[in-house]
Amino acid sequence: MNSTKGDMMKVVKPKGPEIFDIELEKDLLAKNRNLAKENRKRFDHLKITAIDVMGSIGSGKTSLIKALLKKLNMGESVGVIAGDLTTTIDAERIREEGARVIQINTGKECHLDAHLVGQAIERMSLSGIDILFIENVGNLICPGEFPLGAHKRIVVTSTTEGPYTLIKHPYIFRQADVIVLNKIDLAKAMKLNPSQLEKDSRKINPQAPFIRTNAIKGTGIPEILRSLKFKT
Amino acid sequence: MHEFSISSEIAKTVLDTAEENKGIRVLSILLEIGEMTLLSVEQVKFWVQELLKGSIAEGAEINIKTIRVRIQCEFCQHQGRPFFDQQEGVGHLGPYCCPKCKSFQVKVKKGGGCTLRQIRMVR
Repeated sequence: MNSTKGDMMKVVKPKGPEIFDIELEKDLLAKNRNLAKENRKRFDHLKITAIDVMGSIGSGKTSLIKALLKKLNMGESVGVIAGDLTTTIDAERIREEGARVIQINTGKECHLDAHLVGQAIERMSLSGIDILFIENVGNLICPGEFPLGAHKRIVVTSTTEGPYTLIKHPYIFRQADVIVLNKIDLAKAMKLNPSQLEKDSRKINPQAPFIRTNAIKGTGIPEILRSLKFKT
Repeated sequence: MHEFSISSEIAKTVLDTAEENKGIRVLSILLEIGEMTLLSVEQVKFWVQELLKGSIAEGAEINIKTIRVRIQCEFCQHQGRPFFDQQEGVGHLGPYCCPKCKSFQVKVKKGGGCTLRQIRMVR
């Protein structure tokens, strides 16, 4: 295996009779970025719009995807890649909406990466799919560092996580094309002011729309689809 | 835990490069980690050391240089260190903006990567 292929490498003159310095420029995050580009090319070639759905554990990513599927009402022309550590619970929940689903179990990894998504799209029949949702592992830290090749990224948080989620995790929210505050119906019970979170959102990522949702009832779902430029 | 996957990649690259260059022992490696990555230097060091155990690189010195972040403002085009809002976040993990025009529409030009820069070995 030639791990340094394509990277600059030169052997510098020896420091002693047998000690050598190998200078290289191996960007360790580049491998994922390049694989993400490959995934993007594949999506573009097949005319698929891919959406990476990231967010905290229990913020309602699966419920949100279910609500989006219900509203889109496109049956098997929507695909979902469900990422989870070990279970298939999310895939089964999504399948109820009639979408084509494939499960990725990451085992001990806390995020999906471009390689895993590449493998999933190899295994999944993509013909006839127009939109592909990729549900990332519940986590507001690691997925931010690993682009998957999706066209858009949604980051989901919810009122039950308290008032500081955005300000504590600006890195991931900076990557978002759409920021979702879910469980908006519980804001009052949580004594949470959604406007403060919206203010934080404007500060961290002024370009991304901040959308309040109740995924169970479908509140805010048309706004998400509009901001993703899908017809509703 | 994503330090584990990055560290695995580092350890693998070190051992592959050593093998390609007929190294018999790796003495040290130099890594550059950008401030704007979410990588904990301490954890990367720990995992790389762990992953290299039992190999020709066991016990190699793991040197890590932190690369300071530089931004370019998309609004006024200013380039340099960003302004960190210390009141609302801790160090570089808090919100940051252009120090000149205070726009939050800034692009990270430097300090967003993790690079393996040098491997010192015996052959």
